[in-house]
Amino acid sequence: MDNLIKNIEINPLKTSSSLGAAVFFLGLKNAVVLMHGAVGCASFDKVTLTKHFRENIPIVTTALNESGAILGGKDFLVAGIKNVYEKMKPDFIGVASSGLTETNGEDIAGIIKDFKDGQGIPFADVIYAGTPDYKGGFEDGYTAAMLSLLAEAFNRNKNGIPIKKSAKRAKSVNVFCPPSFTPQDFLELREALEYFNLNPLMIPDLGLSLDGHLDERGYLQTTSDGFDAKNLQDIYNGEFNLIIGLSLKDAVKNIEGLTGLKTFYLPNICGLKNSDKFFNLLSKSTGKEIPEKYKRQRRQLMDAYLDAHFYFSGKEIALALGIDLLDSFSAIYSEIGANLKLGITTKIAGDIEYRFLDLCEGDLDMLDTCGNADMIVSNSNAKFYAENLGIPLLRAGFPIIDEIGHNYKHYILYGGAISLAVESANLLNKE
Amino acid sequence: MRLAVKEELFDEPSCEHNGVAKEKKACKTAAPGSSTGGCALDGAYIVLSPIKDALNIVHAPINCLGNSYNQRTSKAVNGKDYYMYGFTTAMNENDLIFGSEDKLRRGIIYVHNRFKPKGIFVYNTCVPALTGEDVEGVSKELSAKFKIPVVPVFSQGFSGNKNLGNKIAGDALFTHIIGKKEPAIDLLGDFNINLIGEYNIKGELFLIKKALKSIGLNVLSTITGDSTIEEIMYSHKAELNVVICSKALVYLARKMKEKFGIPYIEESFFGMTSTNKAVIDIVNSIGNMELVKKAKDYIKIMTKKTEEKTYEYKKFLTGKKVLLYTGGVKSWSLISALNDLGLRVIATGIKKSTDEDKLRIIKEFDKNGNIIMLDNGNPVNLIKTARENNADIILAGGRNQYTAIKSLIPFLDVNQERLEPYVSYEGMECMARLIYSEIKNPLFKLLKESI
Repeated sequence: MDNLIKNIEINPLKTSSSLGAAVFFLGLKNAVVLMHGAVGCASFDKVTLTKHFRENIPIVTTALNESGAILGGKDFLVAGIKNVYEKMKPDFIGVASSGLTETNGEDIAGIIKDFKDGQGIPFADVIYAGTPDYKGGFEDGYTAAMLSLLAEAFNRNKNGIPIKKSAKRAKSVNVFCPPSFTPQDFLELREALEYFNLNPLMIPDLGLSLDGHLDERGYLQTTSDGFDAKNLQDIYNGEFNLIIGLSLKDAVKNIEGLTGLKTFYLPNICGLKNSDKFFNLLSKSTGKEIPEKYKRQRRQLMDAYLDAHFYFSGKEIALALGIDLLDSFSAIYSEIGANLKLGITTKIAGDIEYRFLDLCEGDLDMLDTCGNADMIVSNSNAKFYAENLGIPLLRAGFPIIDEIGHNYKHYILYGGAISLAVESANLLNKE
Repeated sequence: MRLAVKEELFDEPSCEHNGVAKEKKACKTAAPGSSTGGCALDGAYIVLSPIKDALNIVHAPINCLGNSYNQRTSKAVNGKDYYMYGFTTAMNENDLIFGSEDKLRRGIIYVHNRFKPKGIFVYNTCVPALTGEDVEGVSKELSAKFKIPVVPVFSQGFSGNKNLGNKIAGDALFTHIIGKKEPAIDLLGDFNINLIGEYNIKGELFLIKKALKSIGLNVLSTITGDSTIEEIMYSHKAELNVVICSKALVYLARKMKEKFGIPYIEESFFGMTSTNKAVIDIVNSIGNMELVKKAKDYIKIMTKKTEEKTYEYKKFLTGKKVLLYTGGVKSWSLISALNDLGLRVIATGIKKSTDEDKLRIIKEFDKNGNIIMLDNGNPVNLIKTARENNADIILAGGRNQYTAIKSLIPFLDVNQERLEPYVSYEGMECMARLIYSEIKNPLFKLLKESI
């Protein structure tokens, strides 16, 4: 409510929908993101993403100038797509729009379609996500890009492009993860699914593209790996869809409709209960028993919770995170019995209010009201508040630019809950 | 509504980029499909945000500020920490339809009442420029009400690149801040100068000030590292403007020369030779014989001290090959610093350099024509050049960090992301140590064998 009075964001927690779309596109193989807007729209995003992932981030711009801004950006967009293709040879070009290019109401999807239809030769896949920066946030842009890609698959399927039947060694399953997943989260989830003899098609796959591996090819101009859009039609070979994340809840119906497959939805897979749900679901739908490795991890988690819980006693935590991480982390903290004094997010969703003393939508400046909390959990931008208030900061979310190693951390399933419980307990225990 | 940027800002007589052809004006933007540098907003924000008792409000949808703030490494001491805050009106769909002047007005009032700043910069951006918000009107109204400068900055990104944004910010300072106040007597020294284009990255300003103070020079105002609104207001009382590594802010220096008659010189403090030259140029411009003598003595002492301290590094680094890729003015000033350390620059970027910069490189460092001039900043080209010429290290901006290290070539950041200060005599030691340990690091050999 406070924000209504001040009419201004002070050290925002929120980021834009175009950034969310860019992150989605970065999870595709041999891809480049083309930001349709002024040069700054791409460069601000590129700078932050590069610092966060510590990887080269292939984002380029259509470089709209004054005349493009007023008279329409069609020529800029078409030239941008052509130049990117010639210079960087991507298999996939993800186009995200901006506040600037959506304000004049141009038919960007139409321009791209005309352009693609006019190409006689095989060309890269070009997918457009409408991401006006004045509408929605990070998660909305990510979801918009996801649905654009699925709509493309749907159209191709409808137009009779034959589905390639794979030699079914392992059952294929389509997995849709929230933008809050770290690259390591993607990899851990993949491994868990493979234990059930499933072949996961992760859309997008930030685990393969941004996990911070040294590629034998050295420096690359495009993403090195990720979900391969060439295999887009493979989603119709899937046994079922698995959708994870509170922010993807509204997209569940759409994904189900576009793929025509049975769909399972889990708001999050963090903490003991939620991980149990995940493994039980897999066990039931594959008819396989839960692997010994995870049974063991489950017992480790219960023990880690016991070891950790003393340090949470009488302590209060303030969290400023996107909705997916806020849900995931608060689920874990609630299981340990931590007091969650304040939760700040950009768009409240789900039934999570009961976990917090106070839950609100807002900016990082609201951390000033958390006064005597014992730990803040938020991104690097909260460092200023944490230092001023003399409260330790556990870095999570986006962006993390003043610490390295974030792409190797994971918070999902039993192992992830162990990490968070232990990391938090140690920080709370530090004098 | 104010859409167009002053034509004057594109026409910089002192900038070689002005070019012969009319359409090849200074500071126009990049080609579609290229990897990007920042926009005008980025450039303006970089210049104005280090002023520590002013607030910076970006009137825009969330992306312009929200996606990337709090990432500069400018430092400030003693006083307000407003440069750590990012403010934005975060325009939404309703604001687009119904207008958001009132939201902006109420936002400014809120932050003014809470922070009591000495000045407020309001950045106009692409979307409000298109919808025709009267940012100028709101600023004027509130400036009169609060009796502090509330300065509209017309930095919409579609107008041009980062350099243009630097100029727009310079223009905003010139129009609304500079010359609005007289300095107290005790703030004036015997010889007063301003530093323009120094943002105190990693505390570099403090090192430069230390050197200048040692010979009796008083830095009256810094535009804008570790500065205050008041200090910039009375900057017109200086007798010399020293523009540091910034072609874009030569615009401001030229305007100040025209209006206040303050001469300006362009200098760099990268490396010992450059620092020595800068100090001598400054005292020569002021023209006081006693000062000149003092400066010469100081330089002699510092040169000897620095040479001693960098001796071991230099022994190792002599003859090692560097590929330098950085923009404009910084190229030649860094080459000078690297030569001081015995390093050989085998190639340098000239994409952002003016003809004057290029001539200077050739004249001062490349008499035999051995340095490869890289006009193409394409990372693939960079790596190819480094490999073909057996470069021992790449020195470039952060955007090329992963280009280099993923190719297993040692790297050092020489742009604003740098980890330690590089300027003046102390900075030279830092740079020597960093290049030394980077080239010497056995990690690169290990990984090359393992990949």
